[in-house]
Amino acid sequence: MDLQSLILNLSHYWADSGCIVQQGYDVEVGAGTMHPETFLRVLGPEPYRVAYVQPSRRPADARYGENPFRLGRHLQMQVILKPSPHNIQELYLKSLEALGIDPAVHDIRFEEDNWESPTLGAWGVGWQVLLDGMEITQFTDFQQAGGIELAPMTAELTYGLERISMFLQRKDSIYDIEWGGGISYGLIRLSDERESSTYGFEVADVDMLRRHFEDWEREAGRCLEHEPPLVVPALEATLKTSHLFNLLDARGAVSVTERVGLIGRVRRNAVAAAQAYTAQREKMGWPLGNALEGKEAE
Amino acid sequence: MATFLLEVRTEEIPANALPGARRQLEQLFTKHLADVGFDGIAVRALSTSLRLVVLAENLPDRQADRKEEMMGPPARVAFDNDGNPTKAAEGFAKKAGLPLDEIHRVETPKGEYLAATVTHTGRTTTKILAEATPKILAALRFPKMMRWGLGTHLFVRPVHGIVALLDSEIVSFTSFGIASGRSTVGHRVHSPDAFDLAQADDYQATLENRSVMVDPEDRRQALEDRAQSLAAAAGCRPHPDARLVAEHVELVEWPGLISGSFETRFLDLPPEVVVSTLRHHQKCLILEDEAGTLLPHFLAVIDRKDDPEDLIRLGNEWVIRARLADAGFFFDEDRKQPFEDNLSRLERVEWHRTLGSLEAKAERVGKLAVSLSEALELDQKAADLCRAARLVKADLVTYMVGEFPELQGIMGGHYLRLEGADEKLWTAARDHYRPVGFEGAPPVSAEGRVLGLADRLDTIAGLFAVGEKPTGSRDPLGLRRAAQAVVKIVVESGWALDLRSSLLKAVDGVAEHAGEDLETLQEALVDFLADRVRRWLTDMGGVAGDTADAVMAASWSSIPETVARAQALEAIRNDETFRALALAFKRVRNITDAYADGEIDPSLFEHAEESELHGKIIDFHTALEQLLPEHRISEAFQAMVPIADTLDRFFDEVLVMAEDSNIRANRIALLKTLGQDFLTLADLSKLQIDGGE
Repeated sequence: MDLQSLILNLSHYWADSGCIVQQGYDVEVGAGTMHPETFLRVLGPEPYRVAYVQPSRRPADARYGENPFRLGRHLQMQVILKPSPHNIQELYLKSLEALGIDPAVHDIRFEEDNWESPTLGAWGVGWQVLLDGMEITQFTDFQQAGGIELAPMTAELTYGLERISMFLQRKDSIYDIEWGGGISYGLIRLSDERESSTYGFEVADVDMLRRHFEDWEREAGRCLEHEPPLVVPALEATLKTSHLFNLLDARGAVSVTERVGLIGRVRRNAVAAAQAYTAQREKMGWPLGNALEGKEAE
Repeated sequence: MATFLLEVRTEEIPANALPGARRQLEQLFTKHLADVGFDGIAVRALSTSLRLVVLAENLPDRQADRKEEMMGPPARVAFDNDGNPTKAAEGFAKKAGLPLDEIHRVETPKGEYLAATVTHTGRTTTKILAEATPKILAALRFPKMMRWGLGTHLFVRPVHGIVALLDSEIVSFTSFGIASGRSTVGHRVHSPDAFDLAQADDYQATLENRSVMVDPEDRRQALEDRAQSLAAAAGCRPHPDARLVAEHVELVEWPGLISGSFETRFLDLPPEVVVSTLRHHQKCLILEDEAGTLLPHFLAVIDRKDDPEDLIRLGNEWVIRARLADAGFFFDEDRKQPFEDNLSRLERVEWHRTLGSLEAKAERVGKLAVSLSEALELDQKAADLCRAARLVKADLVTYMVGEFPELQGIMGGHYLRLEGADEKLWTAARDHYRPVGFEGAPPVSAEGRVLGLADRLDTIAGLFAVGEKPTGSRDPLGLRRAAQAVVKIVVESGWALDLRSSLLKAVDGVAEHAGEDLETLQEALVDFLADRVRRWLTDMGGVAGDTADAVMAASWSSIPETVARAQALEAIRNDETFRALALAFKRVRNITDAYADGEIDPSLFEHAEESELHGKIIDFHTALEQLLPEHRISEAFQAMVPIADTLDRFFDEVLVMAEDSNIRANRIALLKTLGQDFLTLADLSKLQIDGGE
């Protein structure tokens, strides 16, 4: 199955399971979790189901296109189910069938793998899903986000699309997988992986990055101080600081003492945006509904 | 007699949580059953990755009825003068639930009272279990707990079903919003349909028919047998790995194992890299030949009985090839630049938030190593040691150690060796994290030992300085292990190093970060290290705790010498004469503790026993002066023995607290001198000897 069929099949499957099919966020992020459709939607009692493909940038993981398994930018299929449904594992296993994986002839196991993001003030418990020894999905039950204890809980599924493609196509390099129409991933992505690596490790203007970090941090603060607070613009500005931090880090420009401080500054705004979002939605009377209302137990 | 079955089905429970869950279930049920009067019931807790199970056999159907004697009002109050029952009597009968004519009288020291024999009907076992089980489930504790769905319930993982049966009868309760019943499921792949359990006692067999092996011990046995036979078929043997097998046991419902291979070219990588990839990352068993050499095969655990289309083997082989190729990529990348180039990046890596970068740590370690080397009179150049202190840490910034943190040291050793570095240097890099606690051998080279020692002393001093000390059972940074390694290195090297002052040197290096006054910090560190020395004496030296206390009270800073004294004392302490001596020494301490040293003036002796004791003290002192520099410790302890008799007679014949103050002071000085000489070896008053006070 080529990469785009993988994306299309998963999108169809999760749409049929009640998800809104969203698009990846148009601000640079390190993971689908930072998309407001995850980071904000998990807060408060509003039920929500969404799926999207998020291009995820991790400049420090870039390898000039030389490592067959690592990318500076990869694709995650992110699925959010809130409240986490009781038959989540069943739903998930059926999604594998949509990829042509028949559980009857494979070994599929869920091994403990908890998740924590200091930058987002978030943590969850969960599993990595192993298909014949290959990690194909990260499965997390969010317990806290933006420093806020959650209720109801949210299940997050993250499929590493390139890895799954490599495995399904039995290719030894990411760049050899077929994207679609007979065209390889390498033909489409290799040259920008090379360029982005050179940029991130050698060229990026450190002074400019620092300046922009300061600017966007201030901008996030202004959005939060605005009356009423501008939640999504504040989060977007915060995501920019997070990406700028990642670039500085890849560039080797972040000193030991500075590192903790910078992460703390990103987190402070992320937590503030989360709180502002919760207050805003409550004021709006939880427009998507209240899953906790009138229910004693699930 | 009935059998109780409890099965709680959940999503996959973390492997590390299951042994503890079984232990808690066994303890809590056993205790509860004993509390309701069911003694000696064998409770077995079993589990798979998807279910927690309790089986208790030979349970009575109900509690025995219990008779209780209930005391009522005095007879004179209960009956009026005409012998008719009063309200008090009627009230008591009502309370006891008996007609008046079944109430009897008893004589007590306070007069005649009414009494009733009340029978408490025992509750049924079903009822007892229905009440207890939800409480026990709610009391279970796990390393990490979670909420799910609407967030109402808290447990290790979401709960999907509960079976509770006493023989064939449902024990009815609700936990985690789920009502107990008799419906369960078999293996997720082999037998996924729900079915009803008819009765409790054939549960294990029923589940095994549905491809679920409920007893972890059965799974362990099956995995071990299968590993042996698969290995034999490939002409090799599994590398023994009880810890990994124990984890495999918890990961599955059915203990499956498959074998696979990888290309021999990957065996060109350092063997530790291959082992890390297979074992730590893929949780595979390693296969080796008779000589223990790594072979290009592995065994992978699977949660099923078969591999019907060979896809599982192919998948695992693909993953392992990908992982090994990835490791190979990092290995090649690391070797593209000279290893020394990594040094420039040490300052960018944080070792500790307050204590600074790896560069800062390596510099402190280098300086400390130089001072240790000088104290030990090792023939090492200061510049070489300082450079080595940085080089042994340089692998921490390589790709390989970034990917495989457990290979720290080992990779540095390989890279330096492959570049033709001096053997002392590359083995130092490889070995300087060893031993771990008391386990493992110290580094082979003196350089490795000095660096390993300096590294740990710096770590301990630094983390104490910033307030990150171990407390109680919590020691997240492994400081106790670090200190134990210090002790082991010094002992096994036979180094007469003054460990106390070495530690204080390490404190100097981190003093600027100290959050408390320096003296308190030094004291805490010295106590901490002394405690580890004591641990070595008892756990590794095999001496009794009070032997360790006795010799350490004399001194402990030079550990090999302390070990020798402890062993000599342990060997001699149960001799009859020596025990007498130890008791007498306690008297010496009691009498002289409050006094300072004094001069002995033989002209003030009044008794022959005084002169005799003085003679023995001089002999002993002379013996010590000869024996101690030659490390003849056992003989030094032997030299104490002849004093015992004399000392006893001294106490019999001589009144130490004489009226004449000069004579008194002289006698005290005599005993004090003896005490001080003894104290160079051990404080015998610390020994717990029968017949003592």
